[in-house]
Amino acid sequence: MSEVKDREYFKKLAQQLLFRLSDEEADSIVKEFSTLEKQMALLDAVDTEGVEEMIYPFEEDTYFLREDEVSHVISQEEAVKNVSKKVEGHFVLPKVVK
Amino acid sequence: MIKELAKNKEGAKERCLKAYEEAKKLQDKLNHVITFIDPSEQCEEIKEGKMAGVPIALKDNVNTKGIKTTAASQILSNYVPIYDAHIATKLKDAGAVCIAKTSMDELAMGGTNLTSFIGPAYNPWDTRRMTGGSSGGSAAIVASGTVPMAIGSDTGDSVRKPASFCGVVGVKPTYGRISRYGIIPYASSLDHVGYFTRSVEDAALTLEVLAGRDDRDMTSSYREVEAYSELLNGDLKGKRIAILKNVTDALHEEETRKIFFDLMKKMEEKGAIVEEVSLDENLMKAILPTYYLIANCEATSNHSNLDGLRFGYREEGSDMQEIMTNTRTKGFGPLIRRRFVIGSYGLFEENQERLFRKGQKVRRLIVEEVKSCLEKYDAIVAPASGSIAPLIDAQKDQDELSDEYLITENYMALANFSGYPSMTVPMGFIDGCPIGINITCGAFEEVKMFNIAEGIEEITGYKDLKAEVK
Repeated sequence: MSEVKDREYFKKLAQQLLFRLSDEEADSIVKEFSTLEKQMALLDAVDTEGVEEMIYPFEEDTYFLREDEVSHVISQEEAVKNVSKKVEGHFVLPKVVK
Repeated sequence: MIKELAKNKEGAKERCLKAYEEAKKLQDKLNHVITFIDPSEQCEEIKEGKMAGVPIALKDNVNTKGIKTTAASQILSNYVPIYDAHIATKLKDAGAVCIAKTSMDELAMGGTNLTSFIGPAYNPWDTRRMTGGSSGGSAAIVASGTVPMAIGSDTGDSVRKPASFCGVVGVKPTYGRISRYGIIPYASSLDHVGYFTRSVEDAALTLEVLAGRDDRDMTSSYREVEAYSELLNGDLKGKRIAILKNVTDALHEEETRKIFFDLMKKMEEKGAIVEEVSLDENLMKAILPTYYLIANCEATSNHSNLDGLRFGYREEGSDMQEIMTNTRTKGFGPLIRRRFVIGSYGLFEENQERLFRKGQKVRRLIVEEVKSCLEKYDAIVAPASGSIAPLIDAQKDQDELSDEYLITENYMALANFSGYPSMTVPMGFIDGCPIGINITCGAFEEVKMFNIAEGIEEITGYKDLKAEVK
């Protein structure tokens, strides 16, 4: 919390998310952030002592074990249809080990 | 309308082609469509059903086999799904003919429809104004009279707000009522499929087509789908209506207040019991930050698969990390990247308890507050927006810490937190532009909600409103 939330801070954070921010964009987050922190502080006005987190609207499970039957099959050709580089049904990526 | 159209299957081809041509003609003025679909082929094999030969449109985050689905983002600009979303199949099985994939805010993350990679969508009632978002293209294509129904999605108010701005009916049913299989996600615990129509009757009929259990969406409900349109009855006698006083107290636009309270008076004259109810003010002010935290944190994680490797747009790079970084930098618009940064911040180990988990706890308290209100009342109502659609060029000078912004403009997410059914119907006009009222009922009480909406529609007479696009 004590860390300074400046342009560089948000640029670093973006790097971890695998995208870049321009100086202008990072500056606009710095600006937005001060309002956001004030909005977040509104949560502190709510006493949540002993309250459990609510993850989904309804807490009734609908999962099940389905029968081991084949359904909704896609072909190999379809599976790689949206890949920009492919060879013989494989995704093509740069070498990881050089 | 839909019922009558579906009876005339012979006229289907002409009707669908006409809608397709009309949408294309309006594109210059509305910029509401991302991909047009020539209906000729679909018209050769229209199925019998409740929407036989009825032209419809889908928001461009609904996967459609063989038809580009971009979610209005550069990163999916070349993505052609290999499967249909559950609702796309359902609509096809009911005979519907899709003529367009509509514009939206990028990845459904926005409330303006100004962030689509094709540029803003324009409001059919006044093209200087926004449609609202994120389902703005769908709201516009229904409001302009091109199709009687279009699909949207609603994570915070993304159907119900544009419905208010565009003068149409906008429905977000109960969480789990409609399967989300094949919808490009935003925030899974809040995402709902919703839709727009120009009458409550069409809204009721549409839910009959879309609702039902689907094993491919684990949150989808087993509950029986009711005959909503047959059960439709606008009798308001004895209906207990709670006006959300926190919203009206923070509302400063006099004309909106007048339209709303005049309508309340007329509902009383029809026998409704209308009372003002204040919910805990601290909880009401916490709706927006709670929404912001949960939605952005979930989105950051949901969209980690948009990396340019397996599908979608790819920028080159010397290694995988560089490919992903280059792709995500160019592929996402600035607003999306900002939201991901905020979401990721909320998920940091040192912030998780203070922000994300705190938001989830506050969510429970908000839902309990709404639930206890709905134990005493049949519905909660309030204006769906503080004013008519804002001008696109208007300078953003709203105080984002004011009650009007925090509560009046953003309270509708309470129906996403709770999963309760919620809908907007038109209630009046200011300067020739429409504004709607929002109605929220208890879980799976769609019949009750449609009936109250029908009662309101009978009072206002705002049925089958069509904007004359200038």
